[in-house]
Amino acid sequence: MKKNKSVIIGSGRLGASIAAMLSDIGNDVVIIDKDDTSFRKLADTFGGYDVIGDATDLSILENEALIKEAKEVIITTDSDNVNLFIAHLCFYIIDVPNIYVRLSDVDKGKLIKNTTIQAIYPFILSIDEFMNMRGLNHHENSHS
Amino acid sequence: MKIVIANGTHEADFIIKKFKKDKHKLIVINSDKDFGNYISSSNRLPVIFGDPSKAYVLEDAEAWDADVFIALSTNDIDNYVACITAKKLFNIKRVVSVVRNPKRVDLFKTLGIDSVICSTYLLGESIKNESIIEDFIKTISIENEKIVITELIIEKQCLIVNQKIRNANIPQYLNISCIYREPEVIIANGDTIILPNDKLVIATTPEHHLEAIEFIQRKEIPHAS
Repeated sequence: MKKNKSVIIGSGRLGASIAAMLSDIGNDVVIIDKDDTSFRKLADTFGGYDVIGDATDLSILENEALIKEAKEVIITTDSDNVNLFIAHLCFYIIDVPNIYVRLSDVDKGKLIKNTTIQAIYPFILSIDEFMNMRGLNHHENSHS
Repeated sequence: MKIVIANGTHEADFIIKKFKKDKHKLIVINSDKDFGNYISSSNRLPVIFGDPSKAYVLEDAEAWDADVFIALSTNDIDNYVACITAKKLFNIKRVVSVVRNPKRVDLFKTLGIDSVICSTYLLGESIKNESIIEDFIKTISIENEKIVITELIIEKQCLIVNQKIRNANIPQYLNISCIYREPEVIIANGDTIILPNDKLVIATTPEHHLEAIEFIQRKEIPHAS
């Protein structure tokens, strides 16, 4: 059976939007947040499941979110340390095939070296966007 | 030894005082400015202010190549990240984390934290050890519970009494490491003879623990007269 399940951790703006998008294109989506009021950010059309719980707890991930069946996990809580810990759990213990994590602190990226965990850095995206707007390619510039 | 103490309140203060007496090189990091100042003045040493789960704070603290890193905050996850940062990026040999949630003890160890301390977990383990085995047996586990060391008192009816260890058919899974016989400690070898009232210190694996205790304590079956 082909896995079609996505687990989203953290129902902030980013998490809730990704959940809605993946649900719209037909993925089986579970979203976890420790605060049930966060699910208000989910669109009315969201067709997945929400789980209230602490995703740093392995039993919540395994028993409530059934993460072992997931093809991907997207980790977007507002704490870098929590995100990094859950990413390590998903990589080293649960063995989720695709892991995406948001990290505000670029330094924390060093702690996912030699893994398949992929990080989204809002800081780098903002710098890139700024450089684009200003019409300057800083990658080229820094190599010259 | 170079020891980094990251966060914590009164327990940090206690550990600092203890280590300072032993003349270790201490690096103290605390994210609470007030408590940091208190530790600094009461122990007369500099305290680095900052979040120890951030690499630049450990850099400012010059934590490289320390022997031990101890994370004492009340947030388990912050302690995990601080320890992993210390280990992976600062080449610190041994990282120790305190945790509140006992379910995280084994998890953190699997993820690479060398030593995880949880008071609830320790309490549970010691109650378990006290209750399984009769009270004159003391047990400790080391190396993530892969080795169990037990102290046993030998009664005179035990079959093992008055025999050389070599001749006692000791099973493979059990090692008699040393014998406490008032007032001396004997490092056991094949020629050592076990006497009544000896205190044996034995090492086994957890799987064979109870079997080993049973073996040592086998007694003569009284003959029907």
